[in-house]
Amino acid sequence: MKSIRIQKLVALAAAFLVLALPVLGQKHPRELPKPPALAFKMEKPVTFTLGNGIRVYYLQDTELPLVWVLGYFRGGSLYEPAAKVGLAPLMATVLRTGGSKTRPGDKINEELEFISATVEAMDASEFMSVTGNALKKDFAKLVEVYADLVMNPAFPQDKLDLARNQTLEGMRRRWDQPMQVGSFLFNEKLYGADTPYGRRATPATLKAVTREDLAALHQRFFAPNNLMLGVAGDVPLDQVKALLNRVFKGWAKRKVELPEPAPLTERADGTIYYAYKDTPQANVFLGHLGVRRNNPDQYKLDVLNDIFGGGGFTARLMKELRSNRGLTYGIYGGIFADRDRGPFQVASPLKAAQLVEALGLIKGIIQDLQTNLVSDEEIETAKNSIINSFVFRFEQKNRIMSGAMLLKLRGYADTYYDTYIDNIRKVTKQDVLEVAKKYMDPAKMIILVVGDEKKFEKPLSSLGTVKPIDLKALMEAERGPQK
Amino acid sequence: MRLRQRMKSCCFLLTLALAFGLAPLLGQSLEEKVTVHALKNGLTVLFGERHGAPVFSTMYGFKVGSVDEVPGITGTAHLFEHMAFKGTPVIGTKDYEKEKVLMEKIAQVGREWSLELAKGERADKEKVARLRADLTKLEQEQKQYIIKDEIDLIYSNAGGTGLNAGTGTDQTMYIISLPANQFELFCLMESERIRNTVLREFYTERSVIQEERKQTTDAVPSRLLNEMFMGAAFIAHPYGNPVVGWASDINSVTLEEAQAFKQKYYTPNNCVLAIVGDIYPERAIPLVEKYFGDIPRGEDPPIFRTEEPKQLGERRVRFEFDAEPLLMMGYHKPNFPSKEDAAASVLAYILTTGRTSRIYKDLIQDKQLAVSIYAGSASPGARYPNLFTFNAVPRFPHTLEEVEKAVLEHVEKVKTEPVTEQELQKVKNNIEASYIRSMASNMGIAMTLVRYQLLFGDWKLFLKYRELITGVTAADIMNFAKTYLTPENRTVAYLVKKAKAS
Repeated sequence: MKSIRIQKLVALAAAFLVLALPVLGQKHPRELPKPPALAFKMEKPVTFTLGNGIRVYYLQDTELPLVWVLGYFRGGSLYEPAAKVGLAPLMATVLRTGGSKTRPGDKINEELEFISATVEAMDASEFMSVTGNALKKDFAKLVEVYADLVMNPAFPQDKLDLARNQTLEGMRRRWDQPMQVGSFLFNEKLYGADTPYGRRATPATLKAVTREDLAALHQRFFAPNNLMLGVAGDVPLDQVKALLNRVFKGWAKRKVELPEPAPLTERADGTIYYAYKDTPQANVFLGHLGVRRNNPDQYKLDVLNDIFGGGGFTARLMKELRSNRGLTYGIYGGIFADRDRGPFQVASPLKAAQLVEALGLIKGIIQDLQTNLVSDEEIETAKNSIINSFVFRFEQKNRIMSGAMLLKLRGYADTYYDTYIDNIRKVTKQDVLEVAKKYMDPAKMIILVVGDEKKFEKPLSSLGTVKPIDLKALMEAERGPQK
Repeated sequence: MRLRQRMKSCCFLLTLALAFGLAPLLGQSLEEKVTVHALKNGLTVLFGERHGAPVFSTMYGFKVGSVDEVPGITGTAHLFEHMAFKGTPVIGTKDYEKEKVLMEKIAQVGREWSLELAKGERADKEKVARLRADLTKLEQEQKQYIIKDEIDLIYSNAGGTGLNAGTGTDQTMYIISLPANQFELFCLMESERIRNTVLREFYTERSVIQEERKQTTDAVPSRLLNEMFMGAAFIAHPYGNPVVGWASDINSVTLEEAQAFKQKYYTPNNCVLAIVGDIYPERAIPLVEKYFGDIPRGEDPPIFRTEEPKQLGERRVRFEFDAEPLLMMGYHKPNFPSKEDAAASVLAYILTTGRTSRIYKDLIQDKQLAVSIYAGSASPGARYPNLFTFNAVPRFPHTLEEVEKAVLEHVEKVKTEPVTEQELQKVKNNIEASYIRSMASNMGIAMTLVRYQLLFGDWKLFLKYRELITGVTAADIMNFAKTYLTPENRTVAYLVKKAKAS
């Protein structure tokens, strides 16, 4: 160990001597010598398939005595019946809290928490994840409980009631914070309340869910051939193989059908929505539909997004609205890809007394990107930032593994990361202009504002026709008669 | 999809409890990985070697937070943290000499304007408008010399991620992660910022913080409740002030006041730097010496005087807001590294952490009075005696009164029945495991090192923390509860829904 380090030291000694020369006074970073190139290899997980079709990802990490287990089943809230929206997140919660047919949920709680292990399930709309982690000495125990839960969940009524009651309370409280209200209203207007992307669970749809629904949804998605299962940590491959073969034995393949939801259609038509709430800022969402994944323009869009609104303080939105004008604490925006078309959106809590001015600035930034080439410095910074920070994707091994799994799950090629840097390098200023024109249409953008119009410098109607949204009425309709 | 937004949050660091113990074997291996280097000017540098991916993370902290502020300038520690992103005479400018002349004028006009604003209702509106207009003109003129946010620009080009900072009650922390070949850039940038931060665009940034306060406190029921609660729990000690500052102070604090605050506290002798990742101390130390070594040592920070007087009776706060009800409760207690603090930390865990905790099982799962109840043992900071707290979110139609009563029943039970050995062992197992997990990231390690070295004078004190936790007995917890969790030592705050929504 020691000798290897000394060899490395000698190898780098020359460069180091140069760096160590004394300087007089502080200089600008551009005067520093160009740093040596960074050498790193992209690690990839080992993959193999069990007899019953479970696709396994494995990456060893011996640094700490820890182990992570990560499973993804295709399926999720995208496939829920419209009358039972909220079913998939409930199923995920009760899968864990309800325990299995032979291990009551409360007993699992005791066992896992005593050894500081966790297993949790979540809905992620197009897939459901079940994740676990433990100290390596408890690896077998963890995997046994994990397998039992995903194969044999009990879904008891009391835990369904608990999960539902908690979710209902969350719904009562979702009107409390203006950005949260803006976010769900914007999704509804952008995607449509009648689509799986834009609808939201209500007390009525939650109350319609039965234990049988949970079991049926589980039966539909949780099949071995529909599971991508990752193991990372301080456990050897042969031990992982033996254990997985044992615990998942007898779990038979089944046909899993996941019909694609109807494609989204653009509804944005420049409408301005205003929802009154007694709150200090004007909470704003703007946008229309964005793009699907695996769009050939993805690399151009990544660079555009960095310049427009994703790249922290070097992005135009942040630079102009926060840093130059002090109109907000935070603003982001971009053209995003999803399973169907993601959003093109800008979101920010803005200074109420200068709302109309701020909206004008945002539109101006979009129009400028559609009219003029970005500067050399901007495109260089965006590309350098994406390329030079790429190494951080490989900082933690469990994240290398989950990254590889998600890539597959989302339909990207296994070689996506291998060619990513080269693809970013190829993007030109012309490309950025071209995609800004192609994917942004400021005239079509929905503008949704949650706030108090009395605090704005001008009424919103100075910008066009305004459709009011009555939050109080919506809230009361959702809750029904109280007490 | 890349979403990166720097949230210079005032609270993301301060809420981290001292929840790290240490497994014996790992302790040894961490000690092997850590190298301490003290500079002559008082700066302590801690290196943690982790040769995985070719990256490193750094965090440095100054022992200054909102607790060091006095009335009239609350929020200044946080405001200065924002200013530390505005550059130096070398970074962020095209012509510093020309800029300097303008900045002197800006300081003067800004001061007059702020002092007039501070008169509130009695302010001369015409004068305010005239000074504001003059200030805007000067700021416009300065823009021709400014390179916007060049610190961000340089780090973005270098592949830096997570450039950020956070101010808490006790400390102010700065963070950045970089590829391993950018170590010298890091040294140049950060030594330059510590030495020479220029308060460029001060009055624009003050506006940003006005919006930050509205966004993160005034519009957020739980944060507003926390502010009301702390203000009542502390009548003398500055732990009662919000980190972000009171609105009046944010609206009128001047550039000179921020500069003076910086001078007092932003000294190398009040700073700890941790660098963790793919770096070799023997090669890094000369560079650290070269860049940070000649920053002049400062005066020792002013001594801290105010002690919170013993609470003589229960305090209750109740306010209306356009949101569903929330509850906060707390009791004064001694801070780290006392035995009482360790007992409090174990008790908080036993009461509310996990699905097997007492209050979760009884009040969330069985009686379903609330959807969440969390106990904390080190609010709102750890440098001075602090609070044992409960935060509760009731479930409709259950009331705040019902939830309060039910939580208090659990508090009373701890005073009469010892906690079980099983409960104690569970906490100890989890504290050890959470320590191991915190070692899984460069930034996690850096944070632990800086916290203990900066606030308590020695990074190895987190060994002491584990010792204290391991030593906690059922009797210690009972004694703690009997002594501190008493009605006269209690503050209770209710957020209630506005009777009639406007």
